Amino acid sequence: MKPDADTTIESAAIGAGHDGAAELVVNLRYPNGTVGPVVLDADIGFALLRTCGADSLNELKGHSWRAILESLHDV
Amino acid sequence: MYDVIITNGTIVDGTGARGFKGDVAIKNGRIAAVGKVDGTAKRTIDAAGRIVAPGFIDPHTHFDVQILWDGAARPALEHGVTTIVPGNCSLSLAPLKASDRKAVVGMFQQIEEMPPEAFTQAFTWTWEDFAGYRKAIEPGLSLNVAPLVGHSLIRLWVMGEASQQRAATPDEIAQMQDLLRESLKAGGVGLSTSYIDVDENGRPVPSRFAQFDELDALCEVLGEFGRILQVVPEFYDADLTIARIDQLAELSLKHNIPTTFSPVFDSPATPKNSPRIVARVEEQFARGARVWPQMQTRPVDISFSFLRPSLYFARLPTWWRTLRQPLEQRNASLRDKEVVAKMLAEADTNMMTQGMGILVIRGGDNAPAGYVGRTLAEVAKERGETNSQALINVSLENDLDVAFLAENVGHADTSRIGPMLAKPSVHIGASDGGAHITSFSTYGDTGFLFSEFVRKSGDLTLEQAVKKITSDTAEIWGLADRGRLAPEMAADVVVFDAATIGRGAERAVFDMPGDGMRYVRSATGIDTVLVNGEVAYAAGDYTAAKAGVVCV
Amino acid sequence: MTLSKQRSFVTPGPGETVEQIAARALPGRPTQKAVDDIKSWNLHIFAMRRPPGLLTGSDVVFVEPPLG
Repeated sequence: MKPDADTTIESAAIGAGHDGAAELVVNLRYPNGTVGPVVLDADIGFALLRTCGADSLNELKGHSWRAILESLHDV
Repeated sequence: MYDVIITNGTIVDGTGARGFKGDVAIKNGRIAAVGKVDGTAKRTIDAAGRIVAPGFIDPHTHFDVQILWDGAARPALEHGVTTIVPGNCSLSLAPLKASDRKAVVGMFQQIEEMPPEAFTQAFTWTWEDFAGYRKAIEPGLSLNVAPLVGHSLIRLWVMGEASQQRAATPDEIAQMQDLLRESLKAGGVGLSTSYIDVDENGRPVPSRFAQFDELDALCEVLGEFGRILQVVPEFYDADLTIARIDQLAELSLKHNIPTTFSPVFDSPATPKNSPRIVARVEEQFARGARVWPQMQTRPVDISFSFLRPSLYFARLPTWWRTLRQPLEQRNASLRDKEVVAKMLAEADTNMMTQGMGILVIRGGDNAPAGYVGRTLAEVAKERGETNSQALINVSLENDLDVAFLAENVGHADTSRIGPMLAKPSVHIGASDGGAHITSFSTYGDTGFLFSEFVRKSGDLTLEQAVKKITSDTAEIWGLADRGRLAPEMAADVVVFDAATIGRGAERAVFDMPGDGMRYVRSATGIDTVLVNGEVAYAAGDYTAAKAGVVCV
Repeated sequence: MTLSKQRSFVTPGPGETVEQIAARALPGRPTQKAVDDIKSWNLHIFAMRRPPGLLTGSDVVFVEPPLG
């Protein structure tokens, strides 16, 4: 593990939520090399795209996990 | 003389044993004989060419409100379901002080999506305690009910508003134990709690504010009765779900109680999740813990309209940016030729235009009747438009209030789900019957089990599938006299055609109080349903029988 | 039967804050780093919840990243 490495977005995909709504499944790559998911609703998902200036889900890759927290201000 | 004899059918008795030709005799609401039956009966049902099986048991429903005016929990009964478990996810309708009704109605509306009239016009609030709720529902029941006691309700009763703010004191926990004990004595089948549900303001429901010690204390009471704990974990994340499995296992072992959690989804976005969850359950079973994962049979769909931006459009930036605009501006943009041209080009570039063709136009809103239930591709062709043009124009022509459905987006890979459903460690359930009623249909999962996983994939034999949703469920939930066709057992029986049992297409109906809309599915292949020996459904019609009971 | 290793977690004590959890779960780590780590491992609390970061007594708070 690199001591100063940050957790970053590895990938993102659309999933089907339990309530019938589409949701954004964001996979984060942690400094130890492992990958884990966080599931965002439409409000936060779109805010994340805006925060990262991303036009597509692919463009979320490489952004810091902190972008997810920042995107909360846009909800 | 017997009350009923069901003759000439193939008896699949719920134990998993191979079906055999024979008769089932019923007397005083109980099975009197199974096999070659001699004697006469007041009523004979010819089941030639049909399967005769125990009534199905649905262990995860939210019919708590509906059964106050509809004792058949329509359309659950016509699908062969003779026993339902309401009160899941920490939310029941008792014990509930009159002063707390408004708060709980908000929570129920969040999860069930019932119209307000369901709580103000359809019934009279006559109860506060669990015994009172039982008294309110029992006279009108056409099917059996094994109600859970909601942890959020117990907490709200004892702590009031503080139930959504803080940990409980030792004295408050003792009061909750007494209240749970009283509710179980009044017919509660167990306790439900939730780690995911929120109220109408998005705030976590009361059960989520409980320390583990509080749940442990309540499980001590469950242990006195040998009753079950039901939990909704954070099912979107395997690590979180496994953490809950481990907590449940500790409670199961410490208090010698069964526990269950629901739902388990198999999502293509997180393909490792469900296998990991099932593997952990099997590790805990090997230790002697009872932690039953409930997996639903039906796939998960995505539904959206242009009234709210959906992540369905996340790959199309012009689309989602347009749909995120305030309503007036959104309408204007969707009429702006330049914006629309960009949207259409973007859909083409991303190869979404063709894919949109499989969207199904749904009813229950402003959708023109002629379009409801048809694919966007069909409608677009009829209109002489591309799929994406039609998506925009049909929405615009109807004030954006047209819903579209992308079917089978999640939990839809039969080759993965079938083998998991067949595992002895997996409990078939999680239908959510009576919940999310304006979003999708939660009925017909039992029919889908037979059509998809018995007839189509062959992952389960007919006998195995029947066992899964009858005797297995009864055993897990402690329903001692249900789930099998054997002498002395309750006469809950379903007669069906193995070749056609299934679920019909999803459709919108307006049968909720205040003409409220919901999505339902009718049954196919179900001939007759008996509850406690009385015919409750036959030849496509519900009867007037009210033989259902609180069966705990 | 030995259970396979899974991700470690704690549950919040009554009124406990994320800073307090970070201090007890990750002793010796600089405070801000420890809080950031806890947040990044628990976005189900710090991003998905309304209001974000509201800790409840039943929460699972992971004290390490996914194990892979």
